[in-house]
Amino acid sequence: MRKPDGKIVLLGDMNVGKTSLLQRYMERRFPDTVSTVGGAFYLKQWRSFNISIWDTAGREQFHGLGSMYCRGAAAIILTYDVNNPQSLFELEDRFLGLTETANNDCLFAIVGNKVDLTTERGPEGGEKDQASGKTGSCVSSKVPKQVHPEDAMALYKKILKYKMLDEREMPGAEQMCFETSAKTGHNVDLLFETLFDLVVPMITRQKAEESSPIVDITICKAPKQTRSGCCA
Amino acid sequence: MSGNVVPSPCSTTCLCGFLDPPFKLRLQTLHLQKVVTANLKIESLNWGAFQQEHFMPDYAVDMMNIKAFTLVSAVERELLMGDRDHISIECVECCGRNLYVGTNDCFIYHFLLEEKAMPTGTATFIATKQLHRHLGFKKPVNELCAASALNRLLVLCDNSITLVNMLNLEPVPSGARIKGATTFAVNENPVNGDPFCVEVCIISVKRRTVQMFLVYEDRVQIVKEVSTTEQPLAVAVDGYFLCLALTTQYIILNYSTGFSQDLFPYCSEEKPPIVKRIGRQEFLLAGPGGLGMFATVAGISQRAPVHWSENVIGAAVCFPYVIALDDEFITVHSMLDQQQKQTLPFKEGHILQDFEGRVIVATSKGVYILVPLPLEKQIQDLLANRRVEEALVLAKGARRNIPKEKFQVMYRRILQQAGFIQFAQLQFLEAKELFRSSQLDVRELISLYPFLLPTSSSFTRSHPPLHEYADLNQLTQGDQEKMAKCKRFLMSYLNEIRSTEVANGYKEDIDTALLKLYAEADHDSLLDLLVTENSCLLTDSAAWLEKHKKYFALGLLYHYNKQDASAVQLWVNIVNGDIQDSTRSDLYEYIVDFLTYCLDQELVWTHADWLLQKSQEVGVQVFTKRPLDEQQQTSFNPDDIISCLKKYPKALVKYLEHLVIDRRLQKEEYHTHLALLYLEEVLRQRAPTGGKDVEATETQAKLRRLLQKSDLYRVHLLKEKIQGAGLPMESAILHGKLGEHEKALHILVHEMGDFSAAEDYCLWSSEGQDAACRQRLFHTLLAMYLRAGPSAHDLTVAAVDLLNHHAREFDATQVLQLLPDTWSVQLLCPFLTGAMRDSIHARRTTQVALGLAKSENLIYMYDKMKLKGSAIWLSEKKLCQLCQNPFGEPVFVRYPNGGLVHTHCAASRHTNPSSPSPGTRT
Ligand SMILES: Nc1nc2c(ncn2[C@@H]2O[C@H](COP(=O)(O)OP(=O)(O)O)[C@@H](O)[C@H]2O)c(=O)[nH]1
Ligand SMILES: [Mg+2]
Repeated sequence: MRKPDGKIVLLGDMNVGKTSLLQRYMERRFPDTVSTVGGAFYLKQWRSFNISIWDTAGREQFHGLGSMYCRGAAAIILTYDVNNPQSLFELEDRFLGLTETANNDCLFAIVGNKVDLTTERGPEGGEKDQASGKTGSCVSSKVPKQVHPEDAMALYKKILKYKMLDEREMPGAEQMCFETSAKTGHNVDLLFETLFDLVVPMITRQKAEESSPIVDITICKAPKQTRSGCCA
Repeated sequence: MSGNVVPSPCSTTCLCGFLDPPFKLRLQTLHLQKVVTANLKIESLNWGAFQQEHFMPDYAVDMMNIKAFTLVSAVERELLMGDRDHISIECVECCGRNLYVGTNDCFIYHFLLEEKAMPTGTATFIATKQLHRHLGFKKPVNELCAASALNRLLVLCDNSITLVNMLNLEPVPSGARIKGATTFAVNENPVNGDPFCVEVCIISVKRRTVQMFLVYEDRVQIVKEVSTTEQPLAVAVDGYFLCLALTTQYIILNYSTGFSQDLFPYCSEEKPPIVKRIGRQEFLLAGPGGLGMFATVAGISQRAPVHWSENVIGAAVCFPYVIALDDEFITVHSMLDQQQKQTLPFKEGHILQDFEGRVIVATSKGVYILVPLPLEKQIQDLLANRRVEEALVLAKGARRNIPKEKFQVMYRRILQQAGFIQFAQLQFLEAKELFRSSQLDVRELISLYPFLLPTSSSFTRSHPPLHEYADLNQLTQGDQEKMAKCKRFLMSYLNEIRSTEVANGYKEDIDTALLKLYAEADHDSLLDLLVTENSCLLTDSAAWLEKHKKYFALGLLYHYNKQDASAVQLWVNIVNGDIQDSTRSDLYEYIVDFLTYCLDQELVWTHADWLLQKSQEVGVQVFTKRPLDEQQQTSFNPDDIISCLKKYPKALVKYLEHLVIDRRLQKEEYHTHLALLYLEEVLRQRAPTGGKDVEATETQAKLRRLLQKSDLYRVHLLKEKIQGAGLPMESAILHGKLGEHEKALHILVHEMGDFSAAEDYCLWSSEGQDAACRQRLFHTLLAMYLRAGPSAHDLTVAAVDLLNHHAREFDATQVLQLLPDTWSVQLLCPFLTGAMRDSIHARRTTQVALGLAKSENLIYMYDKMKLKGSAIWLSEKKLCQLCQNPFGEPVFVRYPNGGLVHTHCAASRHTNPSSPSPGTRT
């Protein structure tokens, strides 16, 4: 088995569309999903690296597995459903705690899925218009968006604070908050590929550190020690 | 097992074969309830389409499963307990052929297992009892573990681990034992280097304590005791890592460092934990919701979990499968894709364990073995069901379980089979990759296409076959579109590999097949193939090209096979319309070009007349455009060509031009011949109009140029021909050639009144001669102008112009004497200025030359002075270099190297060559 070089984990309440997002990206389709049991993962070759992407089960029953899945993660995708405000709250309430085991410099992305069901258009709505136009019959069933991008961005900033990560050193909220549709494919490639591009330098840096006996003190960031004490 | 639940698709089709479609339909519905509704709606539709779309789901049901194991009995109930019902099996151990069973009444049984292969391919086992022994307690035997290197069996009974002899089951005389253990695990990845020692981890009866022991043949030694945060319930070991099931969670504990890492929580009250080492640094754990979770010693998961039922009681691993036992079934999941592969009904099982690859299950009354089907068989089954992905995953996974050479052969074959499956589904990209990576003998693929392999090919398909198809017709069931797709694929595939290593040895087969495909598809690349290096077989390819009326290409093929005559004849036939092939609209030009570069003179002569009849101008190129180097070696004789071209005047002119102008052949006949031909043409063109002042035609210009430039033609002959033809210019040129410049200029000036022509004449006819000659001509012309006197006004003007334009061609002093006094300076200003300039220029250049010569002279003088210049002191100490005597007089000879000698010595040296040279002395 090829050993992955880096790990990305999808977290979020059940039914927000984690499995669908992954399948849309990896298999370019939107099939009916069955509720994920336990977890599943894909290997994605990106440049010369193998990145494993873990899909987790949102069900309460499997909650305990989350920490283990997140262990050593380079990036975590926190997923909610834009039509379900509760799913956003859950991210903070239930899922954020699971990310303690991730790498210290772990990246966070916040993803509002199922935008195809809303009437409101994001600023980059043009492309989405076309896509949803094809599925014309859905138009009548559309509802106003329940969760707005600003809410997600607020959460993102909050996470950086919790994690005591320097806002100036982490990618900005605009870059890391996405609104997607696994159904139309809107922003799905952008989401994953943005993350890959951010993760790859982290992997290279990590590899260099492993192979070189000299520790570069400029790379090791301060928050390491203070963090666990604060959130324990 | 699955086969009994859902009939295999094969048996269904076999049955169907005898029935009419409507019956088939009903038969199907019996098997598969799901399709019933669909069937009713579809009944009126085309049967073939129905079969394709709706037969498959039936298939798919069966596709969920694979037969990876068969369950066979190992120890029958009678052998163990006879009719004593209260006895039950507590634990088993298997080590090589030794099978041990521990019972609830404190007995250990020892059996020898003998494996027997059945004709059906599955194995059976016969166990023969060796002996049994009572341990002397009233407690059940909880756990057994063999340490074959020590010849010991570790027996856990009554919270104590005793060591007994593996063969006679006698306790070790030392009585060594580990006390206070509730369960134990042997480290299969030991850290201690001693081969006669096993590492054992126990969960102690002491609360929240685990202990590590080293167990030798007849002694035990505690190594470490570690306490845990909660009560441990189960343990597995790998190296320094303990994987522990505590009361509420699983952890990894490094017993050497004491570092512990949480894995995930679970609830031991709901169900007992499972902790199972599955390989280097990796464990399998029973997780929430019936999950089989994988975790490494680093505390991360590198495989997705498998999904068991909620009440799994045991798990084992037999690569690449994870096997789980619950109270009703044994389930088999693949570790490679996490899918459930097989389900075997098995009631009341309570033990499932693997021992060095052998999987044993037991109820309380009997012991069974799960015999794995050979991986190769499993893979073949998957391929038979077109489950390519799974088959490949399984094959790849089997790499480390099969010897390398055997694996490579097997894997290659599997890839090829998989390739054909993908191919049959028109998944060409995948197929290509599989063919490529498995280095498929490409003829296997070509042979699917009827008639593509050359008749001479010695190829036979591999046996057993790589696929089930006779040919493409069968594979596509006659679907033309699919057929075309397959052909396109083969085209691109062959084209890609033909120059790679894969093609070695079969180049003929590949190129011939490619040619056939191209020809059939009317593909442009056909020509590219034939004009570049190729290995197309002549007879096969020729027949095929002819069949598809690719005559032009056929010609190329002939040419490639050095049969140029056939090639050209074929092309000529196309141009003549005898056969049809519109590949090239410029085929005639192509043939000309071809023959131009053709070394075979015979062939050129054969077609020369045909070519010239088609077009004299183009046809003659076979002679005029031949590459030069060739002309020197096997050259055509120009006279042969000229006589051939007699019938083709235009061609002849072109050829002579080629000889005279391009090749500059200095042969009188050619020049004269060409001049005469030009002249004839000029005369013919002039005939109808008869007018004198017709503008010079192109031919006339050519004629004049030839007459001017060439010195080889027979001037008198031409003069004769021109006589009275009214070609004054030409006669002038001819006069000039004879040196009769007066006459020539007279014609130009007085007959034609063409002054500029007269000027030109002076220039060209003095070309290549000395300046005096040119001057003479100009003076002659000037004299001619002036002779006419002032009354001939235009001649006067011409004279002035001549002087002004060509000032430098005249000797000014001479001219000035010739000119009438009446001419103003104004009139001759340009001439005079020019003459002045020239004169001054000449003077100045001379002065410069003079100056330069002087300074050069000076340099030489300086050198000379330097050589002579330095003073020489003569004293009595200086000796003559020749005679070694001092100088008596102030007279001496000095050599250029500075040596001094007496004058007389120098003189005698010249007469006496044996005396040493002064030069060498210094
Ligand atoms: N309309 C719409 N439905 C979606 C989208 N993504 C997922 N779904 C549906 O939401 C349900 C749950 O999706 P799933 O991927 O299983 O969610 P998970 O539990 O987070 O893995 C499924 O019925 C999907 O078809 C989306 O972008 N748009
Ligand atoms: Mg899911």
